[in-house]
Amino acid sequence: MQLQLITLGGVKVDEEIYSVVVPTVEGEISIYPSHMPLITVAVPGMLIVRKNRQDTDDDLEYFATSGGVVEVSGKRVKILVDEADHGEDIVEAESQAALERAIKMRDEAKDQIELEKAHQLVDRHMVRIKVADLHRRRRRC
Amino acid sequence: MASTQQLKSRIRSVKSTKQITKAMQMVAASKMRRSQDATKSSEQYVFSASELFAYLAGQGATNDHPLFQTRPVKARLLVVIASDKGLAGAFNSNIMRKYLEILREDDRQHVHNKTIAIGRKASQFVSRLKDTEVLGTYEDLPDEVEGAQFHAILNTIVSHFVDKETDEVDIIFTRFKSSINQIAVRRRLLPAGFSAETEVSEDVQEATFEPGANEVLDAVAYRLVGAQLYQALLDSRASEHSMRMMAMKNATDNASDLVDDLTLEMNKARQGAITQELAEISGGSEAMK
Repeated sequence: MQLQLITLGGVKVDEEIYSVVVPTVEGEISIYPSHMPLITVAVPGMLIVRKNRQDTDDDLEYFATSGGVVEVSGKRVKILVDEADHGEDIVEAESQAALERAIKMRDEAKDQIELEKAHQLVDRHMVRIKVADLHRRRRRC
Repeated sequence: MASTQQLKSRIRSVKSTKQITKAMQMVAASKMRRSQDATKSSEQYVFSASELFAYLAGQGATNDHPLFQTRPVKARLLVVIASDKGLAGAFNSNIMRKYLEILREDDRQHVHNKTIAIGRKASQFVSRLKDTEVLGTYEDLPDEVEGAQFHAILNTIVSHFVDKETDEVDIIFTRFKSSINQIAVRRRLLPAGFSAETEVSEDVQEATFEPGANEVLDAVAYRLVGAQLYQALLDSRASEHSMRMMAMKNATDNASDLVDDLTLEMNKARQGAITQELAEISGGSEAMK
């Protein structure tokens, strides 16, 4: 099954994989080869990729993604999102600082728009930290 | 003929100008390369989004969506993208010419015209005009286009259209065809449509929608409009840098020519002075005999 992870910044992943877990508006879905054709809306969250069938949980790859659209056909999964970061590329300390800034912004928000934006930022950085954490833990053992 | 002294100082000043234009050319060249890469990397996204979108449109899902409503045009919003800095050849004047053309056409057809200006040169230009309503001007957009300002622009555009305050939104930007060919173009942003050339790939033909076609359409439409604006900004930026590079290259070449001409003239003047001096000396010694 071909996975294409496409963002505004470029194509992040374009390779053969075994399965992928995508957060969607209807909840998390796992996609395996020969999944029925489907188009759905992805929400900000964590993307989990298993490359080979016999891979253990330690070999999983994680991405922190923003919302977007998922297009599934029997032999291809195409995920269009605004942003996606591989666990490896996320610097935890930076994200931690960004999260603190976002929380501060949320607490000090003056109007609804600001609050909305701060909420989004908080969610986003939480996911990033989680992804980075998972990535680190898996690589260690 | 100018004196050797004067020529010398002119040569010096032209040379230092040449150094500056040469440096600007180098800077523009490296920036151009970077923005060219950025343009390329977002292409795939736009392409996939429009493909998906063409399919949705084919299903008739787009008919009642607010972003796709076609209305008789009473008001038009123009998004003009120019640069913050000058010295980029005809970059800004091409955009302004295109913009004025559309303004005039709208005037004839009594279409109320509104403008969002991006880039300092564009905002300076529109502030002098009377026949358009300026909704906003954005200056000093960071190199990393995707950010708070970008979303502010996008939201203004979309909400304006959805609230029916404008019936059409066009972007005027410079399309980057290649590093030597850039043209000012106008592109329809809203009501969102798709170009007929986008073909639906077979894999999405029979897909089901979750939760429903409308929700998916919502997610795609907003992103597609955003991606188009994003690409226009990137295209503009790449064009700006390559036009500046060309302009600076021409300036550097001209300076070189000028230095050559001036050096020739200076040498002639020096020779002339020597010949004259010799003639005077030999004339003097003839007279002494």
